Amino acid sequence: MKKSLEGVWAVLIIFTIFAYLLGELKLVNTLLVDILLITTFIKGQLVIDYFMGLKNVQLRYSIIPTLWLSIVIFSIALAYYLPITIK
Amino acid sequence: MNKTSSIKELYPPGDFTIWIVIYVELITFGLMFVGYAFSRRADIALFNNSQLLLNQTAGFIDTLILITSSYFIVKAVNSVKNARGEMIQSANILASKWLLAAILFGVIFLVNKLLEFSAIFSQGIGLSTNTFFMFYLLLTMFHFMHVALGTVVLLNIRQRTKRDGYSADDSRGIETGGVYWHLVDLLWIVLFVLVYIIR
Repeated sequence: MKKSLEGVWAVLIIFTIFAYLLGELKLVNTLLVDILLITTFIKGQLVIDYFMGLKNVQLRYSIIPTLWLSIVIFSIALAYYLPITIK
Repeated sequence: MNKTSSIKELYPPGDFTIWIVIYVELITFGLMFVGYAFSRRADIALFNNSQLLLNQTAGFIDTLILITSSYFIVKAVNSVKNARGEMIQSANILASKWLLAAILFGVIFLVNKLLEFSAIFSQGIGLSTNTFFMFYLLLTMFHFMHVALGTVVLLNIRQRTKRDGYSADDSRGIETGGVYWHLVDLLWIVLFVLVYIIR
């Protein structure tokens, strides 16, 4: 499906407002960290695909920022969810 | 739907060198993001309490500014990418307007950030206050420098649009500046959620 630039911008703004409201209303808990990280991944991927213009570029170039985003978001999730050992 | 639209481009937009810069920047910031997340595990209470001293609204406004300025840049690039012959002049005028809007947003971001830094420093907080603020200041100041550089790059690109410098045959310069600005946007999107929101 072809996304309009304005549609992409609107999704980015809506996800940002969602994140801000969760933070401002102190609603961020373990489950919502998941959702926040997923929405951050979607936002990042939209920027990569539609703003950076990598959507229609050969995979060997477009995959690098996507891999970066996936590794960073996954590592952050790991840091939040791995059990902490108290010595 | 046009059949050619499904054919993948051979190379990413802009000069290839900028992509090397982008990959290096991604690795650098990526390491700092992951470093922040794992350092937090050593003292969660300290990170959560320190985070309360940040101005989330300022971070939120910064995010809206960068996303919207990125949108303006795409509009500027699209204006000149298909401009040929008589269309070149009007396309460059239009691109110049979009670029001006993006530059203004960039400046607003920088001013907003300076106010935020000033509020933090006035509380006696610095790099050595604690691990959270070390990461916060390093990440946001490093990012601030990227926005400042990006704004200067956009100013230069805008100067060239005033000389009708871009067209369908020569849009690499504006694309290069554009992808750099989008990198700055992408980094901030992760930074905002990681440092200002999740706890």
